[in-house]
Amino acid sequence: MYIRIERGSSSPISRQIAEQIRAQCLAGILKPGRCLPSVRQLASELGVNVNTIVRVYERLAGEGLVELRHGEGTFVLPPPKASASGVELKEQREQFSREFAAIARRGLLLGLTTTELRAMLTSAASEAKSMILKQTQAE
Amino acid sequence: MNEVAIKIDQVAKSFGREQVLQNVSLSIPVGQTLALLGRNGAGKSTTIRILLGLIPADSGTVYLGGIDPAANSTKVLSLVGYLAEDQTMYPWMTPTELCMFLAPFYPTWDMALAHDYLDRFQIPRQTKIGRLSKGQSVKLGLGLALAHRPAIVVLDDPAMGLDPIARKEFNRDLVEHLQVSGATVLYSSHLLDEVEAVADAVAILDGGRIVRTGSTESIRDEVKQILLPFDREVANLKPDGLLDIRRFDDRMAIVTDNASEYIHKLSENSVDFDVVDLRLDEIFEAFVIGRTQGWPSEPTHDSVSV
Repeated sequence: MYIRIERGSSSPISRQIAEQIRAQCLAGILKPGRCLPSVRQLASELGVNVNTIVRVYERLAGEGLVELRHGEGTFVLPPPKASASGVELKEQREQFSREFAAIARRGLLLGLTTTELRAMLTSAASEAKSMILKQTQAE
Repeated sequence: MNEVAIKIDQVAKSFGREQVLQNVSLSIPVGQTLALLGRNGAGKSTTIRILLGLIPADSGTVYLGGIDPAANSTKVLSLVGYLAEDQTMYPWMTPTELCMFLAPFYPTWDMALAHDYLDRFQIPRQTKIGRLSKGQSVKLGLGLALAHRPAIVVLDDPAMGLDPIARKEFNRDLVEHLQVSGATVLYSSHLLDEVEAVADAVAILDGGRIVRTGSTESIRDEVKQILLPFDREVANLKPDGLLDIRRFDDRMAIVTDNASEYIHKLSENSVDFDVVDLRLDEIFEAFVIGRTQGWPSEPTHDSVSV
């Protein structure tokens, strides 16, 4: 399992690790049924506190992405359906909201006004809506 | 997990007229790793020496593995794995000889484990200690500190003087050999990037006082930088946990503790603000050299009270 930690980042280490494992699970790089490295193994490999890894695995288990089987290890679960995991949805929405805030900030720094930003949001949202609608009709 | 392995309570210490520690309190649950952070001269080594019973405290109490080190100094040293800052070892001995020399001092000394560490740390056994590199001798010190399987390990600035690669390896060893075996670790450091990955909790020591303790993650959640307008509108919104103010024309960047509470207050007062996540080194800086003067003052009142 490939994980890269940026030390001295403003994103806490547990968040960095959880995000990378989550992304690899959702992208199918970590296939369902695959056994993740043990807590000790990953902790020593990354040089990261054992309890941090425990927390990451527990969090991912809470999101329904992995399963902690006692005495056996941590296994990747089949990716949850879009509506399945409320926690995961919440996480992703939080991530989205951070990205959104960054975009808004960049817009303001580029000299766009709040009104212009709002107009862009409205048009982008209606465009996206009609695209999603088309896709679901095609299916 | 809630059992306490190390407890320092209201410890004070002066050397002559100089007060080095004031009301220092710390507690570390069994199996946790706490990093003691501070600038040079903040009192880290003094704290550690008092903890091990090497020097007496003027007041306050210390418990370590259930005993009082001040009363049982020799017992403490056999109980604890201790790596001193700039530990000097007999330079004319070889690592193998040093192992044999040390073994009788520790009832639980495990010679096989000692040699195992020498192997794992790739320390040449037959080279005189005086000729080992700095990294090798720190690792030798660590291996020897651990060879009696201590449940409590105290390391005084172990990474100082190590090159970046050796430091990384050292952190890995710390995780692999100590945390995995459930030891309680107290170590001092000023390399904040590395501390964050390894420590469960940190305590910031400044001018002989503990200015903040908390889990590494909770500190990062609770201490934030906030960008605010510098004007009278915020005059009565000075945060209780204010650590630093920097003014940039009509805006200011502040660092505050208990940020979520303050953010809530700002939203309630519909102030326009931005929140910035800080790195551990920036948080440390705010606690240690932050300046809190210069909050914008009320329009009508006199500004003396600020």
